[in-house]
Amino acid sequence: MNLHYGDPQIAIGVTFAVLAVLLASAFVVVAIQAGSEDSEDRVHRVGYWLRKRWLALLLVIGMVVVGISFFDLPYATGGTSGRTVVTVTGGQFFWTLQPDQVAAGTHVRFDVSSVDVNHGFGFYDPQGHLIGSVQAMPGYHNELDLTLQRPGVYRIRCFEFCGLHHSTMDGRFTVRR
Amino acid sequence: MSVANPPAPSAVLHAHAAAFTPPARMIERRIGLLFAATGLGLIAVMGVLGLIMRLTQATVIGLSEAWFYRLLTLHGVGMITGALLAMMGALWYVLNSTVPLRPGRMMAAYHLTGVGAALVLVATLIGGFGASWTFLPPLPFYSAGQWPVWSESVFFAGNLLVGSGFCVFCVDVLEQATTRYGGLSGALGWRYLRGRDQEAPPPQVIAGTVVAIDGLIASAVGATILTGLLGRTYDHAVGFDALVAKNLVYFFGHSMANLAIYLGAGVVYVIMPRYAGRPYRTSKAFVAGWTGSLIFIVTGYSHHLYMDFVQPSWAQVVSEITSYGALLPVAVITIYSMTMLVWGSHYRWTLASTLFYVGLGGWAIGGVGAVIDSLIPFNFRLHNTVWVVAHFHTYELLSVVVWILAFLAHVIERDAARTASRAARAWIVGLILVGGYGFTGTWFVAGALGIPRRYAIQPAGTSGYSVVGASFALLLALGFLLYFVQIGSLARTAWSRRHFVLVDHTDSWTGGHYEARISRAEVEPAVAERPEQPRSGLPLTTPAEFGFAVAACVVGLAAFFPQIVDAAEVSNRYHHLDHAGHFFFGAMLGLLLGSLPRISRRLGDRPALGLVAVLVAPATMMLLMVPRIYEPLEADPFQHALFHVAMAGFGLATGLGATRLGLVTGRVMLILAVGMPLMFAAALK
Repeated sequence: MNLHYGDPQIAIGVTFAVLAVLLASAFVVVAIQAGSEDSEDRVHRVGYWLRKRWLALLLVIGMVVVGISFFDLPYATGGTSGRTVVTVTGGQFFWTLQPDQVAAGTHVRFDVSSVDVNHGFGFYDPQGHLIGSVQAMPGYHNELDLTLQRPGVYRIRCFEFCGLHHSTMDGRFTVRR
Repeated sequence: MSVANPPAPSAVLHAHAAAFTPPARMIERRIGLLFAATGLGLIAVMGVLGLIMRLTQATVIGLSEAWFYRLLTLHGVGMITGALLAMMGALWYVLNSTVPLRPGRMMAAYHLTGVGAALVLVATLIGGFGASWTFLPPLPFYSAGQWPVWSESVFFAGNLLVGSGFCVFCVDVLEQATTRYGGLSGALGWRYLRGRDQEAPPPQVIAGTVVAIDGLIASAVGATILTGLLGRTYDHAVGFDALVAKNLVYFFGHSMANLAIYLGAGVVYVIMPRYAGRPYRTSKAFVAGWTGSLIFIVTGYSHHLYMDFVQPSWAQVVSEITSYGALLPVAVITIYSMTMLVWGSHYRWTLASTLFYVGLGGWAIGGVGAVIDSLIPFNFRLHNTVWVVAHFHTYELLSVVVWILAFLAHVIERDAARTASRAARAWIVGLILVGGYGFTGTWFVAGALGIPRRYAIQPAGTSGYSVVGASFALLLALGFLLYFVQIGSLARTAWSRRHFVLVDHTDSWTGGHYEARISRAEVEPAVAERPEQPRSGLPLTTPAEFGFAVAACVVGLAAFFPQIVDAAEVSNRYHHLDHAGHFFFGAMLGLLLGSLPRISRRLGDRPALGLVAVLVAPATMMLLMVPRIYEPLEADPFQHALFHVAMAGFGLATGLGATRLGLVTGRVMLILAVGMPLMFAAALK
């Protein structure tokens, strides 16, 4: 299975690229202006006026973005009623999932743990889009809720460095039609 | 007839810089150069290892997985150590003229860090240790047959020494800054903020104090988990709470890596103005911003645990808010203000000043990548993909490392009184920008694709990203190579001028200026002439403080009650907690006794001994806190009691040692030392 860019990741990447280009442009403009001569008083007057607005802008962006993000937290809430619990266990260097298949449209709760060291449950859909990841820790159970609509074979890769064969630690989960 | 003016920095600095730029003294240049050159040497070697790993991922060379992870581990620790070392020297260079620091302590820090780095080298290259710089417990003890136990011990001891070296540096900065500026509130600028001081400390003092406090906290946390891991190497009964241990490891590792850039900020405040011809002055906004950073630097680590869903939800929410908050002082106070500083300044573009400016951009762009990753829904989709590698390489490589290059160039260009040619500068900066952003940009793109990090073998069909990344890395390496060639040429000029400086003379008849050679000794005050700073007092001074210490000792005595000792047998955690109680009692008693004027006089002014005590005693005490050592002793009531008394004895040594470090540093070190066994009890089970 080859990897493909997921829609959220494309949106994130484009946002970053735009911001990076804007910042780089600002640095180029400042570098050009740095070669000229301007009175320190004027730079302070205008600069500090702008700085307050810059701070206000960052605060507003922060409140909006961070605030919205709280409505999309990946943490499982509530009981298991109406959900199929899939027990996921990581170990050097394997994944076991019990059960290892469900029907399409099932609300699944992945109960993720580890028998030895820290692993990461990186979950890809059948087209190779990364859905997300959650850590697999010895002595703890991390719970991830997902509704799996798309039938096919989902892949699991290890998302926390776990030793020699970390990069080939592979698992599968089937969603039936 | 002529009149001698201050030494002329005009050859490489802005024409107006002489008014606020003191001549760099021999001791500052030596320490600055020693640390920067060593750090940069380490970074260069680690960079080559990085390139080898990238070429392995590109399947251009065939390195085994075992070797890949050894190099990965060494690369991570080595890069952070090199960056910290170089930045410590750079901050020393700009701080020492304002806050006289102790060269002896700096050299102790250098040797501790150097020996630590050597041990990590042995553990990875000879021992084969490859659990990554994050060494998340219990991975180091699940080697899959790849490394022996001794390599684990050597690796942890190496990290412990690196942390101790940084700790020594931080103790000196904190002690001297708080003594010079009237305590912690003075050195952090809070007294100025509240209007009690007319004059604020210079920006590098505030930055240095913040770094010192956060560096000490990070070192204490690191020492706790590292001694626990070291204990596990000789007692397999020691277990770890994976979540608490992960919190401690990331607190240590993330903070250490992060502090290198904040050290750099302190350097930038002093050196960039020399090219802009405008001094950078502390404002109230600056003080407030750095007070925010004081908190955000140590809370920032927690976004590493977003995908540990069992971490309390409130902690995740606070972590996201503070991760975004960390952006504000950086974006508003440091980056924006520095662009204001250079705007319209007729900025003097030299190799050093250009690299300083480029480094600001690296922090800004890498910071945006980091802030995106610090939003939980985005982190869910990017966590431990190579996006993370991309953002931290952007600001560690294109900001911290570039600033180190800039600092070294600044010192050498000043000594050589000339800069690199315009063409050489353009090539160096061009290659670093194209190579660097191409190198990290490839990771950003690959991260969005969902390629996981730390993969020796890349997912099928994705090795092309590694080929592109490695190609840009080669361009970057070429830029560095050109830089070193230029620095070598400048260094030869500087060496030929080592005995004299050019001084700007004004002819009193004609008013014309000319440069004349005078002996360096004439313009540089000898180090020995600088008076020793007065001691900053004892940690306890008022009757209320003594009363508090007595009360704390009485509370600490409870740890010895037979009922408490028996109850502590329920689990290793409670047992360790009881030992922490014994240590607490001893530490408070030591603080109390050492602060009594009569005993203090008998102990004498021994800051070095005090420092050794606060570093060694808590670590030794925790190393003894493993079942293999204390369980046989507990069979005999007398030996059992003696062991508990010994725990208190280590506390006593720590408390007495803290009293030799002055009021602020003594208190800070004592609080951290008492916190260490408590964290130890939480992390080990």
